[in-house]
Amino acid sequence: MDAPADLLRFLRDVRLFTRFGEPDLIALAESLRERHLRKNQVLFREGDPGDEMFIVRDGIVLVSKAIKGRVEQVLDRVHPADFFGEMSLLDGSPRSATVQAETDAMLLSLDRTGLQRLSDTNPRAAAAFFYAMVHVFIERLRRSTHQVAEATRWGLEATGLDVESR
Amino acid sequence: MSERPAPAKLELLVRREDESFEVREVGSALGFIQSRPHRAPEGSFEISEVGSRVAGEPSFILKNAATERFLVLSEPETFLWEQMDGNTSLQEIATAYVLKYGEFDFDIIPNLIRKLQRAQLLTLEPKSRLRQALARNRRQRVAKAVETTLAGLERIRVSSRKVQPFVQRLHRWGGFALFTRAAAVACLALGVVGGVAALALLRELEDVFVGFGGHALGGFLVVKLLLFASVALHQLVHALACVHYRRRVREFGFALLHGFLPTFYVDVTDIFMASRRARVVTAVSGTLVHLVLGAVWFLVAAQAPVGSFTQAFAAASGIIQWQALAIALYPFCFVEMDGYHVFVDLLGVPTLKHDALSYVKALLGGRARLRWRRLEGLWLAYVVLSTLSVAAFFAFNVWIVVRATS
Repeated sequence: MDAPADLLRFLRDVRLFTRFGEPDLIALAESLRERHLRKNQVLFREGDPGDEMFIVRDGIVLVSKAIKGRVEQVLDRVHPADFFGEMSLLDGSPRSATVQAETDAMLLSLDRTGLQRLSDTNPRAAAAFFYAMVHVFIERLRRSTHQVAEATRWGLEATGLDVESR
Repeated sequence: MSERPAPAKLELLVRREDESFEVREVGSALGFIQSRPHRAPEGSFEISEVGSRVAGEPSFILKNAATERFLVLSEPETFLWEQMDGNTSLQEIATAYVLKYGEFDFDIIPNLIRKLQRAQLLTLEPKSRLRQALARNRRQRVAKAVETTLAGLERIRVSSRKVQPFVQRLHRWGGFALFTRAAAVACLALGVVGGVAALALLRELEDVFVGFGGHALGGFLVVKLLLFASVALHQLVHALACVHYRRRVREFGFALLHGFLPTFYVDVTDIFMASRRARVVTAVSGTLVHLVLGAVWFLVAAQAPVGSFTQAFAAASGIIQWQALAIALYPFCFVEMDGYHVFVDLLGVPTLKHDALSYVKALLGGRARLRWRRLEGLWLAYVVLSTLSVAAFFAFNVWIVVRATS
């Protein structure tokens, strides 16, 4: 188990918590649970139910979406201090993608109860949390748009399809 | 002027049976060269030649019978059009183009594809039909097992792309001597002496194989393993020949061909830039390893005591080595080995096997008529000779094993 000082130092580097004061971080740390993944281990699969988000403390995890058979498209690589799984936490929908460890990894999870506690006891910290999350969403939306364009370009190049002259 | 963007890449995660996975980056270029352009079906287009007294080269008019669209194709474009039968990948078409025209101006291919697609005369299909069929029938346990095994085996590949300095050193330190007149004479002499020894052994073959005693099958397995090792030497001599003609060896390695055939390979495609003599020497020199080894084994067998294990082992090794020599040099066996490449290079028909099989298939299916023209005659002769040769090869091997074990 990490010493609390290490954990607090790490949490300060997480974009979602940069505006948190020391007491907010200490309160938050109590709601976080550690989770260890071995390399290749699947954390959850697309379609699974879920109500928690994860912050990568150590290692790298891959986010992928099923394409065909055993083939999935890699959507993202999540590195330390970045997070994932917030969609199911916020709207309760099933997991939209599969997440697995590319290397041995350590995660911190925050579930709906923990988030609720944060909102109830420290609304200002919760507002900062959601504000930072919106910024990350915007970034991810831009990246997704770029990925769609790249996948389309891949298809055009791989088939040699000439659409300019059609 | 805007810079051309790098080819797009997809990052794919492929799961294995054991819950592990691997991440593969697939470039669009790979998808493109493995696609198999399929021209419109027979009857939906017409093509006619237009002679030119000015340009000296004919051009061709291709008409889409459904849309009434016309295209003018050059002679090389017509050649490429004929290759686009849905079975040949763009990579293979590009190779055939280089062999026939000696040009590396590959832009002609995507340009033609765009032109044909605009005229609705072409579709593109993915590479392996076997793999497609297996994927379609994945629910059947056997198909799934075959697919998984083939995919797993195909991934086994040990290779190096930094082999050029090593081969250059080897060439400098004595490898060059293999490409001298003296080496050719020595090789020929050894072949003759080995042949005489082989003939002598042939007369007392039954006594020779008695030497295996009860270990005939085990002995043959070891003989085959030694042959496999000699294939590495064979490839190394190809590489030395390539360097001898000042061309570049791009890769040397080991792989399972089609997922099941273990083989060493060397990429000496740079030799296409050299003269025809260089191409022929590079192709033939590797196979001569089997001539030399076979002759040495026959000489060892001739010197060994009659009926001894040493004699039986050496004789079997000699036979296997010379058989490998014959297979490598003999062009009519449906396998594109060194002799086949020399043959098609000399004749100037780089797609002989493919064209011949397509023609005979069409003949048997009633979609083509028997014509006694030179090219059709060559196609027929290739298929007939190859069929007979493959049958004879199997019969000979069965005979050898029966004689050795009875």
